[in-house]
Amino acid sequence: MTVSHDTTARPAGVVSRSVAALIDLCVVSALLALLYLGLALAGLALNPGSFRFPALAVVFTGAVGFGAAVLYLASCWSVSGCTVGAVAMGLRVVGRRSARMKPPVALLRAAACVVFPLGLAWVALDRRRRSLQDILFGSQVIYVRPS
Amino acid sequence: MTLVHSPVPDPAPPPSSLLLDAYRTCESLPVVGGLFTRGKHEAQALLALIVAAVIDELDLTAIVRDRLHAEAIEAVIARIDLVGLANEVIDGVDLPAIIRASSTSITADVMTDVRTQGERADDAVSGFVDRVLGRRQGLRDRQP
Repeated sequence: MTVSHDTTARPAGVVSRSVAALIDLCVVSALLALLYLGLALAGLALNPGSFRFPALAVVFTGAVGFGAAVLYLASCWSVSGCTVGAVAMGLRVVGRRSARMKPPVALLRAAACVVFPLGLAWVALDRRRRSLQDILFGSQVIYVRPS
Repeated sequence: MTLVHSPVPDPAPPPSSLLLDAYRTCESLPVVGGLFTRGKHEAQALLALIVAAVIDELDLTAIVRDRLHAEAIEAVIARIDLVGLANEVIDGVDLPAIIRASSTSITADVMTDVRTQGERADDAVSGFVDRVLGRRQGLRDRQP
């Protein structure tokens, strides 16, 4: 098997990845807040007479939050390998055979990360610092240092 | 061969008096000309010494304090557009570029520090887990 990305890069540990995940959680929360604000403004523009802030159902909020998080993570991983949290902590997600993850694999990995975030804890125990999602999809999170 | 003449006219010769012309003629004499040249250099050196000694004896601060009136100084200052001068100096300094460069440098330093601390924390956690599980340290950093 040939590996095209830098094989000398060290895999990232649990602390850096957890901090990056927290930053990404903040980013997704901000995205959801913007979506809610947009929904409220749309309601105000369509029906200004009887405007009230929309009360959202838990299922709807959860579904939109899940979709936003999966789309955000998958697009970042497949385009550059870096989310906002990964950029802040100097990390990059690479695929099994290339420096970028393929979009379908990135989508599945993102869904797995959102559904079961505790899989990140396996990084602390694994010899090669892989999370359960990394083991499942053959991905790897490495340190990126400017040359 | 073509001679190219400069379109700019030659500068006017320096003003010279009859005495100066006569001295220069004496300097160009075959035997005694060197004496005139040496005499001119010695006179210049002596004059420089005399001027330096006179300046050392003068108290310029006292002269300015005693002879120059405060009203004259204030009139000179009033004639200067200090606000315009200050604006001109401020316009000459690219303050946004300085702030941008310094803030960029600070941000880059902070980010590098955060990343380095994160990497150290990762290594500390890995070392702790390795000790608890009885694994050899450094094994986890190997690539597959």
